[in-house]
Amino acid sequence: MSAEPAFKPRLAAIPDPGEPKIVAEGINKTFINRENGEEVVAIENLDLTIRDQEFVAIIGPSGCGKSTFLYMLAGFEDISAGTLSMDGHPVTGPGPDRGIVFQEFILFPWRTVLRNITLGLEMQKVPRAEAEAAARKWIGLTGLTGFEDAYPATLSGGMKQRVAIARALAYNPEVVLLDEPFGALDVQTKFYMIRDLQTLWQEAHKTIVMVTHSVSEAVIMADRVVVFSARPARIIYDERIDIARPRDALDPKVIDRQREVTEVLSAEVDKQMRREAGRNPLGN
Amino acid sequence: MTDIQIERADGRASALAAGSARRLLAGIRFVAPVFGMLLVWELVVRAGLVDGRVLPPPSLIAARGFEMVFDTEHAVLLQHIGHSLYRAVAAFAIAVVVALPLGFWLGLNRTAYNWISPILSVLLPLPAVAWTPIFLVTLGHGDATIISVCFLGAVFPVLYSTIQGVRAIPPHTIWVVRSMGAPRHAIFTKVLVPASLPTVMTGFKLGLAHSWRTLVAAEMLAALSYGLGYMIFAARQYMDTQTMFVGIVLLAMLGFIFEHFLFGTVERATIRRWYAHHRKGG
Ligand SMILES: Nc1ncnc2c1ncn2[C@@H]1O[C@H](COP(=O)(O)OP(=O)(O)O)[C@@H](O)[C@H]1O
Ligand SMILES: [Mg+2]
Repeated sequence: MSAEPAFKPRLAAIPDPGEPKIVAEGINKTFINRENGEEVVAIENLDLTIRDQEFVAIIGPSGCGKSTFLYMLAGFEDISAGTLSMDGHPVTGPGPDRGIVFQEFILFPWRTVLRNITLGLEMQKVPRAEAEAAARKWIGLTGLTGFEDAYPATLSGGMKQRVAIARALAYNPEVVLLDEPFGALDVQTKFYMIRDLQTLWQEAHKTIVMVTHSVSEAVIMADRVVVFSARPARIIYDERIDIARPRDALDPKVIDRQREVTEVLSAEVDKQMRREAGRNPLGN
Repeated sequence: MTDIQIERADGRASALAAGSARRLLAGIRFVAPVFGMLLVWELVVRAGLVDGRVLPPPSLIAARGFEMVFDTEHAVLLQHIGHSLYRAVAAFAIAVVVALPLGFWLGLNRTAYNWISPILSVLLPLPAVAWTPIFLVTLGHGDATIISVCFLGAVFPVLYSTIQGVRAIPPHTIWVVRSMGAPRHAIFTKVLVPASLPTVMTGFKLGLAHSWRTLVAAEMLAALSYGLGYMIFAARQYMDTQTMFVGIVLLAMLGFIFEHFLFGTVERATIRRWYAHHRKGG
């Protein structure tokens, strides 16, 4: 693999770095393609340390292994080589210390909004009244007040994803993993979600890892942006975003950062496209 | 009571009235064509356009039905109905007991599914009645054979739907509850069961309908004394078309009741409440 550093680390003032929470060292992931039995190297020799209560956004070309990495953190995907630990203990499977939100707003349609959000606490045998009180707090913070008794089928995409986010926060995991949480929403809804939920992440006091394909999402929301290379995934950019919240999409500092990340990302996408064109001489 | 309160109460009452008026109208829309058909049938036979010995008019069929309930020893028609219901429902119940756990297992276990599903796809389109002679040879005439054949009619739709229902649950749904630290049994009761319920209900409907359809033929071939299928078949010896039609009409009516009332109630309490809503919020 090329050893040249793709970026020069900039020494920025890091706001409250916290203790290392998640440590990935030399992670490899190889899939066996079911149809032709070929090996697909999704992630190669990846090192990443995520600190306690840090909000990290991971961005990269599509198909590069972002979701795979997130599912490893969640404990659903095993690691081909390397070590992955949380609070010093190896990650061996899913657990209530990590909550997860998917792009396709996975909800339980037979439960009302309130009951969707209390499910995690029910699983932990928290008394009903206590569970509801906790759920109502997150209902308030995610802007779902008034929808407590609605069934998911009655909600729009944006509202559904608020429920999924509230549900992941309500049972109080230490880490929240978000896989393109706004990816299925229209631009307008996405805009309001990102704006409305800015304070939520601070309020939550959790370590957050969000996979996204949107540079502006990453820069507006995260404390730190990590860019993955095309497959096999390596880290080609890793910077803190020292901009006070709430952040405005039109703030020149935000725009500057977006340009910087976009440059790294488009260079990578170009490289990938050239490589694919090389593999396919007709270049169609 | 102030005027406003009265007005509100009136509003609620009129909304209720509108609701029941709508239901009444829907009922009329359904019943009217059926009555129309019966009326045309009656007139066509009375006018002598059709031979009344082959196609008796509805009035005579109804009269014969009443006669078989009230003017016979032990209300013979009710005996026929009772036997048929018992067999169809028993077969369906056994089918559910067998197919539900098997369906969940096959739905969750990919290897088992890969082995069993080809066998199922071969057996699924096979009419269960085809097995009747085999059962007659081994179990003889009577309930055991009839229930076994109906069981085969009911079990495949229930099994197939359960498998489909479980397999259609997005893996991420299960990931979400596993992330909550859900124990195995909670994943089953709180997610797998409700998530597959709509499809499983369809399987139940189909299963009972198949059991009911299979029953008639099985009873014609294997019943000793009672059952609607037996009744229809036995009446042929006396050219008693009225009794045959009493049986046919009852088969249709009971089948209709199974489909629309038995499962309709369960569906209204669950699936329709979860899914049949308008979207709100931005
Ligand atoms: N279960 C799997 N089996 C085989 N290949 C897989 C599997 N999951 C992901 N991959 C492959 O691994 C690569 C990374 O996928 P993914 O992590 O989903 O990418 P993304 O960065 O878009 O989230 C892709 O090439 C994908 O096809
Ligand atoms: Mg992905």
